[in-house]
Amino acid sequence: MTDVSTVAAAGAINASKIYGKDDSEVRALDDVTVDFALGQFTAIMGPSGSGKSTLMHCLAGLDALTSGRVLIGDTDLAQLDDKKLTDLRREKVGFIFQAYNLIPTLSALENITLPMDLGGVKPDQEWLDTVIDKMNLRNRLSHRPSELSGGQQQRVAVARALASRPQIIFADEPTGNLDSKTGAEILAFMKHAVTDLHQTIVMVTHDPVAAAYADRVIFLADGKVVDEVDNPTSELVLDRMKRLGS
Amino acid sequence: MMASPVVRLTLRGVLARKFRILLTILAVVSGVAFVSGAFILTDSVKGAINNLFVELRGEVDLEIRTKIAFGDSARAERDPVDVSLMKDIAALDGVRLVEANLLRQATIIKSDGEPLQTSGPAFGISWTGPDGLDGRTLLEGVVPTKSGEVAIDKASAKRAGYVLGDKVTLVGPIGKGEFTLVGLTGTGSTSGGGGASVSAFDPITANEFLGADNKADSIYVGITVDASRSEVQQAIEEVLPSGYEVITGEQSAQETAGAINEIIDIFGKVLLGFAAISLFVSAFLIFNTFAIIVSQRLRELALLRAVGASTRQIHLMIIGEGLVVGIIATGLGLVGGLGVAKGITFAFNAAGAAFPAADLLISSRTVILSIVIGIGVTVAAAIVPALRAGRIPPVAAMRPELGFSALQRSKRLIVGIATLISGIALFSVGLFVQPGGTVGTLGGSAIGAVLLFLGVASLSTTIAAPVSQVISRILPFPLRPMTNSVPGRLASRNAQRTPRRTASTASALMVGLALVSMVSVVASSVKKSFTDQLKASVTADFFVTNLSFQGLPVAFGERLAELPELGSVSPFRATVALVNGEEKQIGAVKPEMGDLVDIDMQKGSIDSLADGDILLYTDPARDLNVDVGDTVDITWQNGKESTLTVGGIYADSSVAGNWLIGLDTLAEVSSAPPVDFFIGADIAEGVSIEDARAAVEKVAADFPSAEVQDQAEFQKSQEDQLNQLLAIVYGLLIFAIFIAILGIANTMALSVFERTREFGLLRAVGMSRRHLKRSVRWEAIIVSVFGATLGIVVGIPLGIAVAIALPDSFVTATVVPINTIVTILIASIVVGIFAAIFPARRAAKLDILDAIATH
Repeated sequence: MTDVSTVAAAGAINASKIYGKDDSEVRALDDVTVDFALGQFTAIMGPSGSGKSTLMHCLAGLDALTSGRVLIGDTDLAQLDDKKLTDLRREKVGFIFQAYNLIPTLSALENITLPMDLGGVKPDQEWLDTVIDKMNLRNRLSHRPSELSGGQQQRVAVARALASRPQIIFADEPTGNLDSKTGAEILAFMKHAVTDLHQTIVMVTHDPVAAAYADRVIFLADGKVVDEVDNPTSELVLDRMKRLGS
Repeated sequence: MMASPVVRLTLRGVLARKFRILLTILAVVSGVAFVSGAFILTDSVKGAINNLFVELRGEVDLEIRTKIAFGDSARAERDPVDVSLMKDIAALDGVRLVEANLLRQATIIKSDGEPLQTSGPAFGISWTGPDGLDGRTLLEGVVPTKSGEVAIDKASAKRAGYVLGDKVTLVGPIGKGEFTLVGLTGTGSTSGGGGASVSAFDPITANEFLGADNKADSIYVGITVDASRSEVQQAIEEVLPSGYEVITGEQSAQETAGAINEIIDIFGKVLLGFAAISLFVSAFLIFNTFAIIVSQRLRELALLRAVGASTRQIHLMIIGEGLVVGIIATGLGLVGGLGVAKGITFAFNAAGAAFPAADLLISSRTVILSIVIGIGVTVAAAIVPALRAGRIPPVAAMRPELGFSALQRSKRLIVGIATLISGIALFSVGLFVQPGGTVGTLGGSAIGAVLLFLGVASLSTTIAAPVSQVISRILPFPLRPMTNSVPGRLASRNAQRTPRRTASTASALMVGLALVSMVSVVASSVKKSFTDQLKASVTADFFVTNLSFQGLPVAFGERLAELPELGSVSPFRATVALVNGEEKQIGAVKPEMGDLVDIDMQKGSIDSLADGDILLYTDPARDLNVDVGDTVDITWQNGKESTLTVGGIYADSSVAGNWLIGLDTLAEVSSAPPVDFFIGADIAEGVSIEDARAAVEKVAADFPSAEVQDQAEFQKSQEDQLNQLLAIVYGLLIFAIFIAILGIANTMALSVFERTREFGLLRAVGMSRRHLKRSVRWEAIIVSVFGATLGIVVGIPLGIAVAIALPDSFVTATVVPINTIVTILIASIVVGIFAAIFPARRAAKLDILDAIATH
């Protein structure tokens, strides 16, 4: 990738997150400073307990830091109350989870437009059509989640994250529950979203194959950023991971 | 703004869980049906009764009667009017017809010699036929015109098995008579007398047989078509002696109907009270269902928050679901109300009440109140679960364990204690301080009880786990303690693991059973006090009563007094009068009453009654600050005034009431036809109880409506009446308990649904279906025994408080009925088994693989 934008979509500055007190204190994040550039696909990797999920939850405004700052665009999340945070999540942030991404009582289309419906905003029809076609969901729109395969459900989740054209999309192990073929398909869709639709995605994963789809990989261990690789391959990522584990 | 996603999510949420909220709807439906049924029934019956009296008085343009000095017009004991007045009235211009209105007691004797039982009074009337002013209709036969003829309402004749031409024996105020049945009458559109039996005679026969002595209750006047009613009314007023008044027929009809309507209103209010209890219990069920559904939807709600739903939108969504449930349930409840009204009418008619045939009226007030109550209760019960749902953090979409801690956070203990204390305070203030009299007492105590129940329900969460453990250890399940077997241990742990759920499920049962415990404590105390008082103060060997509340013909008491087999005999009569400006009930007896009832004379003598003196109970004597020899000013209902000398002061008012005068004093001041409420008698010296009884029964044979009882029988009949009342109260409370059982079934079904995976796992590792069923059933039993225990622990002190608050003349002893408590505990085990039938079956039916695969 050559045209990496220098404008940050999101970032953390001296971010620390401490669970518990005194003896049972756990430093989930320990003075992390990191930037996520616009239009980039970033993977966060690390062993269990490295703090990668916590970092993402804090970046997305789902959880609060103990100290330090988190920015989405130029908004400091610490300054926002619950209502403003809700608005931010609805307008500026998209989510893709490992599982339980969809409201079972709503159709695929209703799930996709849910954040905009909740905000009382009319979806941009042209963009919505683009996203639906890109995710190959055109003939599945009226189905309920229970009538969709795992891969289709996850595509609906990706479409929902894209539909409101958020500043940044966070994905938490988006392929964790899928077989490798379907997983690869989802990752390809996400990659397209970044390259063709100019979206920004931050993905937490422990799968080197998944990480290889990203433009950049950040490695976390014990709550700290310990390494970084641009334009990774799965072999390269695996190699780094092995080194981290040793 | 588009509210559409919230509306959509709400509706879809209800649809997706329709079976899970079915029981909730059912609970609300029964409460609303009860409320609307009470309104529909009272509106309809009142409407019909108003019509009935308008028809009965249809031809009466004016009515002449004596005035009263104070009190309720329809129920007043008026002096009779002199029928000689009729001549003067008939001579006035514009008067078409004048009739004497005479209505006395007359009991129909069936061919087997037994009196015809009616749910209303047994009337004998003077009747000139359908062409006269009385609106009664002649359905068959002819109008009685001479001595020895009678017309009876068709419904009563049918029930007594009489047809036209039969010889019918009747008992009037002065004795028996034999008549030929010549006509069958109806009232308005019905063939009966609204529950009363009506025997009609021609005016001369009526005057003789009913012992009217040329007096009548009032005089009906019909005017000519061209006359002006107000002018005739004025003309009549001019010729009336003082103490008389003339009113319009409509006013008369309204007064009579109004008195009956008041009774119907009381009946309706009692029904509404029980409806309120049912709804209160339903609120627990609704609350519980929504709370469980919220925790089961934790991830869904967190996901909504993560993708941008605001806290407010989540609140609206859950409350909206409550609204949908409330709307459906209220609609069904209104329809159910028609059923309730029809059912009650049917039940009462089957018991012989002969409600006038009425179209069921659904007034707009019924509809509006049902909607407000049904939807209000449902939405109110959904508020707390909605607030909790709003607290679920978005991060719980990925880490559900973080969400559960949010669901469990609450200031329950503080709020619970505060609610409980304010409940106890309000309840006590209502009961002991009695602000605003009866209404204040009932209102204050009811609100207090509601707060108290809510407080206990909230606090019971804290003790649910340890108490469940104790219950599962103590309950003697087949052969060995429950906790010795795997299903038993599972049941016990499951009951403990969601203490909030266990507690609120049990609380619904607590409310119903607390009320049952409370009522049974009060009832046992009343019974005990009554028996004690009877034993302590009543020495009479016989009591004669008439259980139809109409009283006994005075001729009966007079004949008893002549029997040589009896010693002292005294009737008990009553009237109302103004003493010091306040309306008081005053008893009238013979001095012989002193031999029959020990009224515990403190000063003076009961014999002073014969001299025209008045006796006072200690309390009013103290309030008026009078002593023996002082005087008391009294205004009687007919306006006469007396100054009576206090002849004595007594200390036991349980039978005598607060004021006693002699029979002669009563006869002097009131010429209203007297009736005896009861007669007491004791046996003359040297006469055996058998001989005395035989003599009394012989006289009673001429007065078949009289019920002769010795002390034990009298006591038993009074207790039976109390027990009948209790049976009705318990019957109505069973409704609330039934809703609580629905609640337990519902919670268990929801829990089974939630534990699908767990059950699959248990089955996979070798648990049998039978054991799985047993564990569900035992959990339900633990919950219901917990609820029953709470109910007893709350209800008994409430009952004791009420028993203490009741006046001493009513309750002197406080009794806790152990039998009832044991029955409640055993019944609660049955309730648990019953509630678990469906959920246990469902748990056992789970397919292992499906269960494990379920997400």
